[in-house]
Order: sequence, then C-alpha cells, then structure tokens
Amino acid sequence: MGEGHRFPLRIVDGLRLERSLREALMPGRVLHDDGGHPHTLPRYFYEVPSWEHAMNIQLSPNFALWEFIQTDVREAAPLRGFPRFVPCSITILALCLERFRDAVGTFVHISANGGYRSPRHAVNTGTTTHSWATAVNVYRIGDVQLDDREAIERYAAMARQTLPGVWTRPFGPSRGQTDDQLHLDFGYVVSVPHDAPADTLGFDAERRAS
Amino acid sequence: MPTQVLPRSAPPSAAALDGLHTHIDALERKTGVRTIAVAIHDTETGANFRRHADRWLHAASTIKVAILLGVYAAIHRGWLLPHSRVHVRNRFASAVDGHPFRVGADRDADSEVHRSIGKMMRVSDLAVHMITTSSNLATNLLLDLVGLETVQRALDELYIDGIDVRRGVEDERAFEAGINNRVTADGLVQLLRLVAEERAFTPELSREMVAILHAQEFRSGIPARLPSAVRVANKTGDISTVAHDAGVVYPPNRKPYVVAILTEWAPAASGRSATIADISHAIYGLLTSQGGNHG
Repeated sequence: MGEGHRFPLRIVDGLRLERSLREALMPGRVLHDDGGHPHTLPRYFYEVPSWEHAMNIQLSPNFALWEFIQTDVREAAPLRGFPRFVPCSITILALCLERFRDAVGTFVHISANGGYRSPRHAVNTGTTTHSWATAVNVYRIGDVQLDDREAIERYAAMARQTLPGVWTRPFGPSRGQTDDQLHLDFGYVVSVPHDAPADTLGFDAERRAS
Repeated sequence: MPTQVLPRSAPPSAAALDGLHTHIDALERKTGVRTIAVAIHDTETGANFRRHADRWLHAASTIKVAILLGVYAAIHRGWLLPHSRVHVRNRFASAVDGHPFRVGADRDADSEVHRSIGKMMRVSDLAVHMITTSSNLATNLLLDLVGLETVQRALDELYIDGIDVRRGVEDERAFEAGINNRVTADGLVQLLRLVAEERAFTPELSREMVAILHAQEFRSGIPARLPSAVRVANKTGDISTVAHDAGVVYPPNRKPYVVAILTEWAPAASGRSATIADISHAIYGLLTSQGGNHG
C-alpha cells in the first residue's frame, strides 16, 4: 500500500499515555483468566480524535470504527470522551466480522458495550477479550433479534463454519453463557502494526508503568 | 408588572377534615375497596391529613418516584450526568438468586425503550420514560445503573421513611418469594414534598424531577376530575390488587399541595381509577373550597 493509502489513525504507545489513560487502558499489563492463565493486554492503540472520525473511518466495506467503540457510562471515565484509544487488533476484528457478514448476507449489528471496552469497564466479569478488541456481541442480524436459543445457536454455527478458530459463547443463562446476544471471540490476539512507535522505554520502564 | 401578593388560605377546619374521612368511608362501602390510604400535605396552609397513612402497601409503579430520586442522587454526586448514555439491554438479575429475567415487551406500557435494545439511551430520556409512560424496562435499566443502595441511601439521607425499595420491576421470582417494593402514603408524600419544595439535593435538580413528573401521561387518577387549569405532577401505580396515585397538585394562584392516594382491591375489582379521582376531587374541594362535595 502506498503512502497515499495510509490508515488515517495515529498509533500510540499506551505506555506513553498520561497516567489516567494508562490506568484505564492498562497497556501491556498481564491479566489472569478464570483458569489462572496469564494474558498480556494490548500495548499499542489507534488514537481516535473525535466521534466524527469514528463515524467516517471504514474498517471494512460494511463496518465503520464507531460501531466498535460504543461504550456507555460504565466505561472508565477517562475513556468516555475523545481522543479515544482502541487496540490495533480492531482492524483484524472488522475483517473477520466482514467475512461473517458475507456469510449471513445481511446487516450485523454490534451492541453497545459489545465491541472494544477497556479492562476498567464496569460490566466486565473476569478477563474479557473485549479488552483486546477481539470480541463482539451481536444483538441483531438483519431483522432477527438474537434473544433466543434458536437464533443464537443458528448464527453461532454459521460463524464457526465461516471463521476458523472463532469461539462462540454457548447459549444459556449462566456466567460464561449468553441468552440475549451472539458473542464472537477471536481470543487474546495482540496486534503491533509495522508503523507502531519503536519501543524506547525498555523493559524496566514498562514494568514501572504497569 | 407588580407581583400580586395573594392572601394565604386558611387551613381546613377539623369538621372539614372529618367530612373528608366520611366521604372516603362512604366510598369504601360503595366500591368494596379493601383499603384506602391517604396522606396530604398542603404547602399553602401547612395542613396535613392522614388516613391509614402509615400502612405498608405493595408499591407497584409508584416506586419509580424513589428510583427517580436515586438517579438524581447519582447525578448530584457526580456519578452520572443527565446525558450519560446507558446500554439498553433487557437482561436483569433477580433479587432472589441472581437468576436472569427480562421485562416482557407485552407487559410494558412503553415500547420505545424496547425498540432501543442493543443501542444506548440517555439517562434523562430513560427517566422520562420511567415516569411518564411507566416504562418497566427503563426502570430496571436505571435501577441496575445506580443500584438499590444508592436509592435507599438517598431516601435515608433525606429522612424519608415509608418507602422500601427492594428490587426492580417484573422480577417474578422475587414476587413469588415475597420480596416486594413497599410504600406508605406518608412516605410518598414526604418524598414528593421535598421535590415540590425544591429541597431534594438542589433546587435545580428538584425542578428537573418535577418537570418529569409534570409530563405524566397517565391522568386517570388524581388529575382526572380537577379543573383544567390545575397542573399535576404525578406518578401512578397499578397491579392486579393495588391502584395508587401520588403527586403534587398546583391550583392556580395558590401554593401546591402534595397528595398520595393508595388503594387495595380484589383482583377483578373495577372502578379503581374513578375512586382515586373521586377522592382527589374531594381533596381539591377541601383545600381550595371549590368543587368539593363530601356529602
């Protein structure tokens, strides 16, 4: 891709952000899942200057950036305004979702709080891949509201056929299950684009920042 | 234009207050209602009227006034802004055991909030839907957001007793377990009096709450038989066995009075709203010496 087609958002090193943002985004921090397995949170983020930018940036033919960053008042306070920061893996997530959209042949609606949300978002339970920007909650596909077993399991099966390696949350009312949305999850993927700023802080500085 | 200073009305006489009791007694016999509980505070004269005013009854949707207070407590403390956005999700945890439940769209008077499922709505818009069309979904979203403790603490800090908030609405498991929101007529009048007198947090926030109550669309109770010039900021509550209405009544050229009329009925009883409207009409006549007929 030539210089004229550069992705329009600046990449920032989360460890170099101001303290309140670092505390909310927890760049490079290690979280442990319910099984005790460690997972390293993203360190590099796209900086989204305004809601207008988010509305105008297409991540894929059918998905714009704003659809992945709709978080409500439960998001950490420093991340409710702009500039907003979203892990660089968001571009990969959008491409996966585009492929799913092709398979279902109609609109795929991501719910509020259902794209990227920070590790400090109040609705989080445990270590959620939403904080890696590698999971989405889909509440409606075309005219179908995904709020019953039949709809959720039908589209979960389509996702698994279309997207190798995707994990779909099983239907049910308990923790770890879903009964009012489809959860598509691509795991703890961290993306570091080639034009990410060079690591100049060093390991010790990184540890201090976390 | 010079401000007209109106003479302060005289409080109703003891005989007039007895007349209201007699009127309500007659309504009880006529309608078969199980309980009529009434509390009044007149901010013009300082007069009070109480009839079974400390009796606890199922709150039905009158509890939404307390939840409104809790939301504004959160705004007052800076936890929320009126334009803060909330994810509209129809999934709540039962107060009994945390089991998830939903608010049935067919059991909710307001479909607009249901149409926003998956999206976000402003706190202020949810508050309007909770009060003016009694949206159960908006109610549970707001209660989920601020928490039971915030609501109860707001009531406690304002020294309001007689309101017991224990859960959201449409929580069938809690209902079956006997966990219900309860109110007394006194409790609702205490709350609404604070709001009407602009003493709930700040005058500005009190006025915002009154404005929401003024936009009430359910008008078959307290306002129904009052003159059209009378403004009423009210909240109704109806389930199979209770019908309530509580509000602030603003007669022209006079300070408002605060009233709660709570009624308990057999499940198939009719004439519930008409009974509340009848009592409200009698109260209006008593306090304004217009249109009242307690005979």
